[in-house]
Amino acid sequence: MSVGRPIFAFLIAVAIAAPAFSESPKDQIKKTTDQILSILTNPLYKGPSKAEERRRLIRKAIDERFDWEGMAQRALGIHWAKRTVEERKEFVGLFEDLLARTYMDKIEGYSGEKIVYAGETIDGDKARAFVKIITSRNKEIPLEYRLQLKESQWLVYDISIEGVSLVNNYRTQFNSIIVKSGYEDLVKRLKEKKTYDDKKERRS
Amino acid sequence: MKSHLFILLLIGILFTVTPSVLMAAPRESSSGKGNLSDLSRVARSNDGLKRGDSFESGESEVEEPPESIPDPLEPVNRLFFRFNDRLYFWILKPAASGYKAVFPEPVRVGVSNFFSNLTTPIRFVNCLLQGNLKGAGNETFRLLLNSTLGLAGFLDPAKKELQVEKEDEDFGQTLGTWGIGPILYVEWPFLGASSLRDSVGYVGDLALDPRTYLITSIPVNLGIRSFEEINDHSLILGEYEALIKASLDPYVAKRDAFSQYRRTKIKEKGKGIPPAAKPEPKPPKRASRAHQAYQEKEILLGGY
Repeated sequence: MSVGRPIFAFLIAVAIAAPAFSESPKDQIKKTTDQILSILTNPLYKGPSKAEERRRLIRKAIDERFDWEGMAQRALGIHWAKRTVEERKEFVGLFEDLLARTYMDKIEGYSGEKIVYAGETIDGDKARAFVKIITSRNKEIPLEYRLQLKESQWLVYDISIEGVSLVNNYRTQFNSIIVKSGYEDLVKRLKEKKTYDDKKERRS
Repeated sequence: MKSHLFILLLIGILFTVTPSVLMAAPRESSSGKGNLSDLSRVARSNDGLKRGDSFESGESEVEEPPESIPDPLEPVNRLFFRFNDRLYFWILKPAASGYKAVFPEPVRVGVSNFFSNLTTPIRFVNCLLQGNLKGAGNETFRLLLNSTLGLAGFLDPAKKELQVEKEDEDFGQTLGTWGIGPILYVEWPFLGASSLRDSVGYVGDLALDPRTYLITSIPVNLGIRSFEEINDHSLILGEYEALIKASLDPYVAKRDAFSQYRRTKIKEKGKGIPPAAKPEPKPPKRASRAHQAYQEKEILLGGY
């Protein structure tokens, strides 16, 4: 009995820990990428008439892997603290939309490039997953996903392409706008951009 | 001879349409990098090589102030940005698209390889200046192999068959590894994104470019450079458009992308150097681990 208890406790511990450790950040990135690729290469979703459905499915896959709030918070940087709860919520929505669109545009440009999972580094609840996209011309494009462990899932909070972090790039832009013309103007511009991009998307 | 070089340089600046129009323009975009906080970090930690390390800034921590290159010339830069933007959409892009329609990709890649082979001295000397002997050796090896078996540089058997890759070094990066920051952002008409440091670097690279000496007729020299730009652009059409499309303020987006890109390139410097030979003290814990892991991966993948 006294032997059984520790073993039982150990089994429980393993069972609880398993979801957290069974899948590494790299595995999770790979899973999402495979999911997206299977949508992109599925003949069912090919062609312009299926674009909407295709984008909806891809968006769903991205949503599961991306920590939109974490990204939005980092993109606002020092200005995040000054925002009210409602303002933050609104901002996360707008930013999410912008970033998803940017990311989606890159994904949709996919034309059979090879994807190599180059490895990962884990440091506490933060991790990096390194991916290489190898183009038909044999050019390597290094991609780096930065992830944070949240409820046993590794969620992406930044993507860096050839050393250029998307979140940092937006943060620089947002800061420049806020400093020059205020937070309200930033929100206004985000909304205008959304309207403009939506319209453009519908036309194409 | 000197005045000749100077004139070429001026014209080169006026004419090398490009690089910078693009964030990812592979070779020539000059550099840029950090900012005041970068500089102070350098001063503090003395880690010239890894400064502004994207592993750090990449942390994208909430408290961190926005990272960006100083831009006291912003009003003028914005003017030239608009000029370059139009130059791209009105002239360069149509030219590159037409060219692309005529010549198949392998030909255009070959042309790009040829010019790249020709400018080996730039990369060779800068590898040496950065203490990267292995890189200098690789460049020499590539020059010998690609100039012969690679049919004057059009093909790249060194990379294809033997995985010896190009060392993408320039004088701006060399200055960066010596601890010189970008100082400030400059948007040159025609040339595009640069920093003060990288503009100096560009002059240095021109002095190492064999074409500067071989092709003494200025119109011919410019013609060749313009042709190279159009060829290179035909291979990266769409990248600039994507950057602009994704941005709220295209000028700031380009400036920041340039700055981050150059910072990463300078940081990657140590890639071919064995750890013991690296001149800088150990970078912060996390950065070094991640960075090393990344390097190891590259080696595993046959990067070297």
